[in-house]
Amino acid sequence: MIAFLRFEIVRTLRNVRFLIMLIAFPVLLYLIYAKQHGTTQGLTVATLLLVSMAVYSGMGSAMFASGPQLARERHNGWMRQLRISPIGTPGWFAAKLVQSVLMIIPGLAVLVALALTYGHVHLAAGRLGALVVIIVLGAIPFCAAGLVIGLMFDSQTAQVAQMITLLVLAFLGGIFISWSSLPSGMQTVGKLLPSYHLAQLGWNAAAGRPLGMSHVAVLAAWTVGLGAIAAWRWRQESTAA
Amino acid sequence: MFRDVTKVYSGRVTALDHVSFEIPRGATAALLGPNGAGKSTAIDTMLGLRKPTSGDVRVLGMTPAAAVAAGKIGGMVQTGGLPDGAKVSELIALFRQLYHGRRSQADLLRLAGLTDIADRRVEQLSGGQTQRVRFALALAGRPDLLFLDEPTAALDVEARRGFWQSVQTIADQGTTVLFATHYLDEADANASRIIVVSHGRIMADGTPSQIKAYTSVRTVRFSTPAPDTSALLRLPGVNDVVASGDAVTIRSGDADATLPALYALGRPVRGLEVGGGGLEEALIALTSDTSDGGTTAGAGQATAAANSSELTRVG
Repeated sequence: MIAFLRFEIVRTLRNVRFLIMLIAFPVLLYLIYAKQHGTTQGLTVATLLLVSMAVYSGMGSAMFASGPQLARERHNGWMRQLRISPIGTPGWFAAKLVQSVLMIIPGLAVLVALALTYGHVHLAAGRLGALVVIIVLGAIPFCAAGLVIGLMFDSQTAQVAQMITLLVLAFLGGIFISWSSLPSGMQTVGKLLPSYHLAQLGWNAAAGRPLGMSHVAVLAAWTVGLGAIAAWRWRQESTAA
Repeated sequence: MFRDVTKVYSGRVTALDHVSFEIPRGATAALLGPNGAGKSTAIDTMLGLRKPTSGDVRVLGMTPAAAVAAGKIGGMVQTGGLPDGAKVSELIALFRQLYHGRRSQADLLRLAGLTDIADRRVEQLSGGQTQRVRFALALAGRPDLLFLDEPTAALDVEARRGFWQSVQTIADQGTTVLFATHYLDEADANASRIIVVSHGRIMADGTPSQIKAYTSVRTVRFSTPAPDTSALLRLPGVNDVVASGDAVTIRSGDADATLPALYALGRPVRGLEVGGGGLEEALIALTSDTSDGGTTAGAGQATAAANSSELTRVG
C-alpha cells in the first residue's frame, strides 16, 4: 500500500497544471477579499476568509484527487490492471484516502502563508494548529464523496458532477456567502451538508470557541455513509457479470 | 496443479455456453477463435474480473480471487490500461513491490523489451509499447500461471518475435501460459495445445497438428448429372458429400488425392471450384456439422463421427 501511495503521489505531483488550478482559485479569492475591514462572528475578514478558503480548497483538492481521476482510470482499464494485482480493495481504498488528504496540504500551506503575511492574520499557534488539523482530517468525507462520484459517473461526466457538487457544497454550506443570508429553504439543506459543518468547526477553532461535537458527528456520519456507497459500488462493479 | 474450468454464462448474451476445459501445469495453451467467440470472457473469468453465471472456475486449485490475492497469477487483459503521469520504470517498480520483488527491474525491462524506454511517460508510448508495458506488469509476480489476451495485437512483426521469445523463456521457467489469439499461425507456433472457441462453445481441442489437419480440409464444388453420393464418399480423402440436384459439395482432407480420383470416375464434372482451408473454413466446417443436418443428403452423417475421433469436442 505504501508503494502504491508513493506511486500515486509522484505521478499526481508531476501534473503541475492540475495542482496550480486546484490552488489558484481560492488563493485568488483570498487576495481579492482579505483586505476588507470588519469583523464577523468575532473574526476579522482576513481570518474568516482564511477558514472559508481553506475549507473550499480542501474540499476541492480531496474530491479532485479521487473523483475524475478514478472515473478516467476505470474507463481506460488501469483499474482492471490493479484488480488482477494483489493490492486488494482495503489497501487501495486506504491509499486513495491518504492520497486525498495529502493533496490538500499544498493549497492549505499557501493560504496559511498568505494569511499570515498579506492578510496580517494573527492567530495563536494553538488555534492555527487546531485549524490545520481540522482542515486536514475534515477532507476525509470529501475524499469519500470523490470516490462515489468517480465510481458512479463515466470519465466525461465525472468532471462536471464534481464541479457542480463542489459549488453546491460551497454556496449552501455558507462558504462563499454567509449561510444566514441564504433563503430559509436553502439554509435547511445547507445545514445538512458536510461543508457547513467543516466550516463551522474551522471558524470555532480560529475564534477559540468550543468546537462543537455535533459538527464532528455530522462529518463522521457523511464519511460512513459515502464510504458505504463507494464500497457497495466497488463491489458491484467487481462482480459484474 | 492447475485445474480448470467449468463455466456457464448466460444473461442476455451467452458468451460462454457450458464450456469445460482443464490445462495441465506447465503447458502453453492457446484459445483460438474469431472475435466475439468468448475468449476474453473466458480469460476475464479465470482472472476473477467476471463471475460466471453458473459453473465453477478454479485456477491453481483455488478460486481466481484467492489466486490473484496470493499473487500467483498474472494477466494481460485486452481492456487493460495504464495511468497517466507515470513513467514506465515507476509502473514496473510499483508492480515489483506489489509482488514483493519476485523479479528484478532489469529482468522485467529486458523481458518486455522496455530497457530503452524505461524513462518514458506512459502517455507518450505507442500502442505496441503500451502493450509491452502491460506484459511486463503481468510478469512482475513471477506468476505460476500467465494469461495473455491477444497479447500481440498492436505489435509489429519484429516485436512479435521478441514477445514470443520472452513467453518461451517464461514457459521454460515453469509458468503455465494460456493465451488468446485469432491467428492460427500464432497458436500453432507458440502453443502445445489449441482450444478452438466459437460462439461461446469449444469447437475443437487438440495439439496444433490435429487442429491444422482440420483446417487443411478443402471444399470441392462442382456439378454433375445425377450424382452418386456413395461412390463420391468412397473417393480418397473425402469426409463428407452433400448433393443437391446436380450441385455437389465435397469436403476433403486431401484434395490432391480426391481430384484425380474424381475425374477417374469418368463422369462429367463441370464448374469445379476448390475452396481453401484456414481457421474460418475450419470453424464453418465444425459448426455446420451440427447445424446443417437438414439439408445433407444422407451420406454426410457418417462423417461427423469420423471427425470427432480426431478431436475432442465439447458442447
